[in-house]
Amino acid sequence: MASSSSGLTFKLHPLVIVNISDHYTRVKSQLNPPLAPHGSSSDGSSSATASSSAVPAPRVYGCVIGVQRGRTVEIFNSFELLFDPVTHILDRNFLEKKQELYKKVFPNFYVLGWYSTGSDAEESDMHIHKALMDINESPVYVLLNPLINPAQKDLPITIFESEMHVIDGVPQLIFVRASYTIETVEAERISVDHVAHLKPSDGGSAATQLAAHLTGMHSAIKMLNSRVRVLHHYLVAMQKGEIPCDNSLLRQVSSLLRRLPVIESGKFQDDFLMEYNDTLLITYLAMLTNCSSTMNDLVDKFNTAYDRVSRRGGRAAFI
Amino acid sequence: MEAMASQAAIAQKTWELENNIITTDSSSKLLTDQSSDSIFYYDEPAQAKFQQEKPWVNDPHFFKRVKISALALLKMVVHARSGGTIEIMGLMQGKTDGDSIIVMDAFALPVEGTETRVNAQEDAYEYMVEYSQTNKQAGRLENVVGWYHSHPGYGCWLSGIDVTTQMHNQQFQEPFLAVVIDPTRTVSAGKVEIGAFRTYPNGYKPPDEPVSEYQSIPLSKIEDFGVHCKQYYALDITYFKSSLDSHLLDLLWNKYWVNTLSSSPLLGNGDYIAGQMSDLAEKLEQAENQLAHSRFGPLMAPTHRKKDDDSQLAKITRDSAKITVEQVHGLMSQVIKDMLFNTVSQSHKCCSEHSDPEPMVET
Repeated sequence: MASSSSGLTFKLHPLVIVNISDHYTRVKSQLNPPLAPHGSSSDGSSSATASSSAVPAPRVYGCVIGVQRGRTVEIFNSFELLFDPVTHILDRNFLEKKQELYKKVFPNFYVLGWYSTGSDAEESDMHIHKALMDINESPVYVLLNPLINPAQKDLPITIFESEMHVIDGVPQLIFVRASYTIETVEAERISVDHVAHLKPSDGGSAATQLAAHLTGMHSAIKMLNSRVRVLHHYLVAMQKGEIPCDNSLLRQVSSLLRRLPVIESGKFQDDFLMEYNDTLLITYLAMLTNCSSTMNDLVDKFNTAYDRVSRRGGRAAFI
Repeated sequence: MEAMASQAAIAQKTWELENNIITTDSSSKLLTDQSSDSIFYYDEPAQAKFQQEKPWVNDPHFFKRVKISALALLKMVVHARSGGTIEIMGLMQGKTDGDSIIVMDAFALPVEGTETRVNAQEDAYEYMVEYSQTNKQAGRLENVVGWYHSHPGYGCWLSGIDVTTQMHNQQFQEPFLAVVIDPTRTVSAGKVEIGAFRTYPNGYKPPDEPVSEYQSIPLSKIEDFGVHCKQYYALDITYFKSSLDSHLLDLLWNKYWVNTLSSSPLLGNGDYIAGQMSDLAEKLEQAENQLAHSRFGPLMAPTHRKKDDDSQLAKITRDSAKITVEQVHGLMSQVIKDMLFNTVSQSHKCCSEHSDPEPMVET
């Protein structure tokens, strides 16, 4: 399948991914009731037979919504759609109802396209795609492969655009792959971290927070390091002549490396120092507060210990 | 590389253990195991039976735990953050399991709360009904089990109005749960600030329990907090995710580790920090006044008075320490980034001169 040439940039938010995954899991588990449903064991036998002849999970369908600014398409959220797999017809009323409901809460979001699950785009998908074209004239198609493959390193998500191509003299719409990046807002990133692997859920002492913070930092830097190492390996291999020399790739590597002192100017140094000193000042203030609190404690204890003395002379001392 | 991967896996496991994150399917199990993800199955008869038994009527402290799905958490936090400094509100769908409430999903309501008061109006109810209907059609079978709203910048607790709303709902819509999220503090502290609460029925005297978790509350709200804080209790929150979720989230990390390096909490939260500082200053002034009074005034009954003042000053100290820790964390990542990306030429020099690695001071 060709890659897209429309030049649009796609940004995908993790919420959409989790949403699709949840939709799929939900439908799957509803079709295959667990062996021992919590609470009731009476219907255990019937559900056991049901799960032994496990129904393959059907594909799920939904709509993705978000914002398009210029050439950047940002996919923020998604909702479910009803689709009849026999007649291949989308429930139009349902879609409009949902759209209206979401419009009330997120007035800036527009329908950008749709999503489904499966390993690859299918022939029949074009029908749905075309059906959405009166809402958005060039919808996107987000496809999630729900099969868990531990060897896989990349997200099993593909974004397709449709393009008009002339095949055998007949103009036809075909799906083309589009590249995308993952985009998060700060709060989203924190909560993804929270559920994915990092961050203590409840308070935790300062030490565990520090550990969490540094671990996050460390794993990010480790990732960067491993990526740079890949580049390095590639370049070394190319130098040895094991891999054919690819000029355009080399140019990309070079432009990447050229960026390395990202910001190195006197102005940045000044601002950085300012920020640094601000933080130090805050630390200083906190220390002062801490100190005065401790002092207060001490005075109180002193007063208690030398009660008689304080009663007579204490007042004069404090005034 | 492989050694690194296994190391990361171990680190992740420890984190999950520490954070009570339950993966409903451990990856060591057979992936074809269909009985996994059973928490996602909605058992209508069992739920109906539970509804009729109403075990929560006799025990006001019946529900003790909350399980929140990754999806619901993400939706709520993103929605809360999208509101900025305006309070937002939404509903949660889910079910019950023994003494825990399981939150599967959440959706936003078209209610614009002015500061500190979130009130569901009639169109919100209408919206709720319509949304639940469409959701049922789309295979989301769970009923509404609670509501969530945000407290941008002033901590997770229930205000007087929230307590009334929640009490009302608990009378007519049991089981019902209230969740509060602070998006501003979430970003500042780098961890999700969330609380789940249920109110006690009117007139119920709660057993004297230690206040669940200390948190700083702005001066302007402290009265509201103090009056109502004995009328509800907090529930224990854990999170869960499906096997597919955890698989995807793992892979997601491969994509967006860049964001960890490219974000700066110092920049994004200057406003909040400044607000916190001025709030602390006010609190300090108040504490100082009280201290001065106690000195000048008659020294009668100094013991119980002293206790109050002490804890107030100690609280302020704790607050200031917390802000400082967050700030220092932010600065730490900035310094690390500066070393990583900006001091390329200097590090070359460092290597050739074999000077001691002390760039922290040099900046």
